[in-house]
Parts: sequence; structure tokens; C-alpha cells
Amino acid sequence: MFGTQSKRDLTLELQAQFPILRPSIHARRANLTVKFQDLYGFTVEGNVDDVNVLNEVREKVRQQGRVWWALEASKGANWYLQPQVSSLSEGIVLKSSLKLAALANSITLKRLIRKGIPPVLRPKVWFSLSGAAKKKSTVPESYYNDLTKAVDGKVTPATRQIDHDLPRTFPGHPWLDTPEGHAALRRVLVGYSFRDSDVGYCQGLNYVAALLLLVMKTEEDAFWMLAVLLENVLVNDCYTNNLSGCHVEQRVFKDLLAKKCPRIAAHLEALEFDVSLVATEWFLCLFSKSLPSETTLRVWDVLFYEGAKVLFHAALAIFMMKEDELLLTHQVGDIINILQRTTHHLFDPDELLTVAFDKIGFMTTNTISKQRKKQEPEVMKELDERLRRLNSLRTDDK
Amino acid sequence: MAHRVDHEYDYLFKIVLIGDSGVGKTNILSRFTRNEFCLESKSTIGVEFATRTLQVEGKTVKAQIWDTAGQERYRAITSAYYRGAVGALMVYDITKRQTFDNVQRWLRELRDHADSNIVIMMAGNKSDLNHLRAVTEEDGQALAEREGLSFLETSALEATNIEKAFQTILTEIYHIISKKALAAQEAAASTAIPGQGTTINVTDTSGNTKRGCCST
Repeated sequence: MFGTQSKRDLTLELQAQFPILRPSIHARRANLTVKFQDLYGFTVEGNVDDVNVLNEVREKVRQQGRVWWALEASKGANWYLQPQVSSLSEGIVLKSSLKLAALANSITLKRLIRKGIPPVLRPKVWFSLSGAAKKKSTVPESYYNDLTKAVDGKVTPATRQIDHDLPRTFPGHPWLDTPEGHAALRRVLVGYSFRDSDVGYCQGLNYVAALLLLVMKTEEDAFWMLAVLLENVLVNDCYTNNLSGCHVEQRVFKDLLAKKCPRIAAHLEALEFDVSLVATEWFLCLFSKSLPSETTLRVWDVLFYEGAKVLFHAALAIFMMKEDELLLTHQVGDIINILQRTTHHLFDPDELLTVAFDKIGFMTTNTISKQRKKQEPEVMKELDERLRRLNSLRTDDK
Repeated sequence: MAHRVDHEYDYLFKIVLIGDSGVGKTNILSRFTRNEFCLESKSTIGVEFATRTLQVEGKTVKAQIWDTAGQERYRAITSAYYRGAVGALMVYDITKRQTFDNVQRWLRELRDHADSNIVIMMAGNKSDLNHLRAVTEEDGQALAEREGLSFLETSALEATNIEKAFQTILTEIYHIISKKALAAQEAAASTAIPGQGTTINVTDTSGNTKRGCCST
């Protein structure tokens, strides 16, 4: 269903398939929990308010589509793909007359992307702005086909774990959880595990790749998006053998929380709550397992344009939105409950992104890079010590 | 995490589930806390937990069961996962030899991260798949005896021994806690000057504070 069609068809079909939901008056009165399918075919449970929010989000997506089309009409198709526009956001200084127009476009684009890329345009915009297109262009056309053919039938620890996780990745989804969906996800994950043997396969990537497959036009493009994510967008070694990059991100996040939400941070400290208990999943699955699909994809819209700092913005926002409630907790379990409930019900992407960018305030990629550098030696030292301890226990066993 | 709260329960015990990916940790959790089994469960990445309140030797105990990812590379990020745990259910899959062979590594993980008094039970899960068995019950029993652990074969699917496994762990934890409380009481009594009406605060001395009974 999803794999063979063009993205445009898919979105139209989905919109036709899931018409505006109108909860009955009885459901309204009883505050019932209802099950429904969202824009990307995921089954969601929510109350009547959630349904209403989702309907509003659908309307906003349509409006945002009109804004993008209008811009294409006035600036020309693919205006956002001009190299100056995207490179400016990375801080490259431009020469002469191009400067002003490019700067204007770049500001427009940044603002636009924070408001959301329409689902129909996502494959094209993501592919180009993330650098995936460039990455793909440096290898022969047949790279992905050759890769999947070459690794077909090979068995490694990675492929065993992948096979184990295929049916456990968004079970019940109308396309992902079919033989066709499993096969596509398997090819992407297995292919990547051979492309980067340091990563191989890390649990969590299954959710990321699955969502990429749903969004991108082709399986091959989903593969390249995964590649650019791991190799360029995210911090190094996020998914490798000891997840050291992920450990570093958790430390940086903890420091940022102390800076941006000092009251929450102090309270968590008092309860001996380590943010990694909830944030590990956020950072490794890029929120795909926690947030509703459109909200996740809105975070990814910005992630592919502005970089990995966006994950910190979103994670901080989730804490900040629940500050009052969190400050009243007495137990670690309550904190986890609040945060999980909050993320699962964040059907309105703007609610999250407004806090993430307007309230959290400015953070540059540079500052975050510096903080990572600061944390790295400590993380590596602890990981080494851990290994040494475990090895010494091993000798004790003998 | 073994606090004593006056209202809904007497004790809160944190128990962690550990074991290789796919041995059935998540379904053991859902069977025990909600009496559910889901053939189509998602692979766990971060931390999930659920609670159930039950009676242990006349006390109301709230068992808080934690579940997390089983893939090897995740082990290093779990020190926060073990914090405050007073019990552990170490699970392997009786149809996958490798998951049993890895039990030793999980034990090392526990010794490294968890409190030394943690109560550990080993569970050979998926006993309903007897025709696919790769680990005999005797092998499981022998390892458990060697390591001084309690042992049961379980089936989350058929709800076999799940209840018993947790009851065993919780009872053992309760015994340790009450012994500690008694010892602390005696210690406090022997150091206190008799006749001055010293109040012995069992709750405090037994370690039932927010820090958890076994925290150091």
C-alpha cells in the first residue's frame, strides 16, 4: 500500500481514508477513550479533546500547504533548494548581491520549517536540506541496489536482532506490519548494518527507519536519510557499540536542563532521578516511539534543517511544559508517568514547538558542541572503568 | 526503593527485569501487573514500568516492576535503572541457549550496578514452548544453585509461575527488610540509655526512607 505509491498519492489517500472525526455526543459526555488512526496510519488512543486537537492539526497542515504552494508560485519551484539558502543556515558567509536575497530566503525558510513542512513536500525537502541528496550523489546510482543484493542471505548478530525486531516495530500498523513492510524495513536496516559495521544494528533504529519509510517516496531515499542522520546530523557514536555518543548527549541534556529549568533540575536531583531514564529513548528513537507521528515529524522537519540541537529543544520543552506537575512529585515513578503521558498525548505539534523554540530560547550548535567536548572525556573514562570492573568480576568467577 | 507510606501500602519495592532482548521481559511485566499477554508488543527501548499492589505476609506491598531494552550495548546506560532496586528477575528464554549462557553476564551487571543485598531470581521463560526447548530445567536449576539464586521456569503466555516468581521475590525482600528492622531496633535499644524513654523509629532505622532500603 505505502511502498509502491508516490508520496503525493499516499497523502491524498490517507486524507481521504481518515475523514474529519466527529466524536458522538455520548463520547463527549462520558469522556470516553476512543481509538482512531492518525495521518500516518498509526492507531492512537485518546479522548474527545485529543480527537478535536487532531482535527485542528489536520486543518493547520492544509493551511501550511497553501503557504508553501504560494511561495513556490512567487519564488519559483524548489526555491528552498538553492545552495545559498541552505548553506547560510550553517553560517557560511556569502558574497555580494546574492547575500540579501539568500538571507531573506533563509530566514523565511527557517521560520517556515519551524511551522512545519507539508507531508507531500517532506520527501523532497528533507532529502535535499538534510544533505542526503548530496551523500547519495557521491556514489554510483546502483549503490543501494548493489548493497541490498550483496548482503542478501547473510547472517550476522545484527541481522538476527533485526529479524527479531521487525514484527515488534509499530505492530498493527497497516503497512509497516505487513510482509511487504517488514521486507522493506529489513532491507534498509540490514543494508545499513553492513554500510557501517561500527553501528551494525542498534535497537531504536528500527523505529527511526520505519518512520522514514513512511515519509520518504522510496525505500532507497529512506536508506539515505538514515545514513545522513547517523553520519552527519546526529552526534558521532550515538548508536555504536557502547552508545558513547548517546551517553554524552544525556550529560549535555542534564546540564542544559539545569540551566534552562533550574527548579525542575533541582527537584529531580533531590529525588535522585536521572534524566537518562526517559531521555535515552527520546534521543535514540528521535521521539518516534514517544510522540504522536505528526508531532515527531515536525521535530524531524527542524532536525534535518537546524541539526541535532533540536532534540535538546524538544526534550527541554517536554520538561518545561510540565514544570508545575513535576515539582509536586515525590517519587521517580511519578516523574516517568507524567512525562510518558505527556509525550503520548502531544497531538498538537505547535504546542511543543512553541515552547521548544520560544520559551527555551536560543542555543547554538556551537555551544552544544563545546558542551559535548567537555563531557566526552568523562564519559569515555566511565565506560572504560565499567569494562574494567566487569572484566575483573569475570576473573573472580573463574 | 522500599519506602513505607502510611496510606495505600506498607512498602514499595522496586524490582528490575533483566535479560537478553526477546526473552519476554515486557510480557512478564504485563502478565504480572495487568494479567495481559500481547503477542504484538513493541521492542522496549527506554524504561517502562508498571505497578501492582498485593499482600505479602499480611502487609500491603506495592511492587514496582521496571523493564528496559535487552540489547547488549544498552547495558552501559542502565546504572540509573538499577538505582534503588531491591529485587531482580533475571530472565532467559528456554528455547534460546545463548540467552541462558548470557545469564552470567547479567549477574556481573547486577553485581556491578545494584545493591549487594538485592534479591535475585532467575526465570527460564517460554516454558510453553517445551517442544523447542534448548535449555533443560536441570541446567537452569544447577546454575541457580551454583549462584545461590531462586529459580523457576515460567510462561508469560500461559501465566505459569509468573505470580509465584514475584511472590517469592517479594516475600524474600520482605524478610530481609523485617530482619533489618529488627536488628536496627535491637542495636538502637542497646545503645540507648535505658529509662529515658527513647523513641525507636523503626521506619527510619530500617532504611525505609526515600533513599531506598539498600542505598549506601
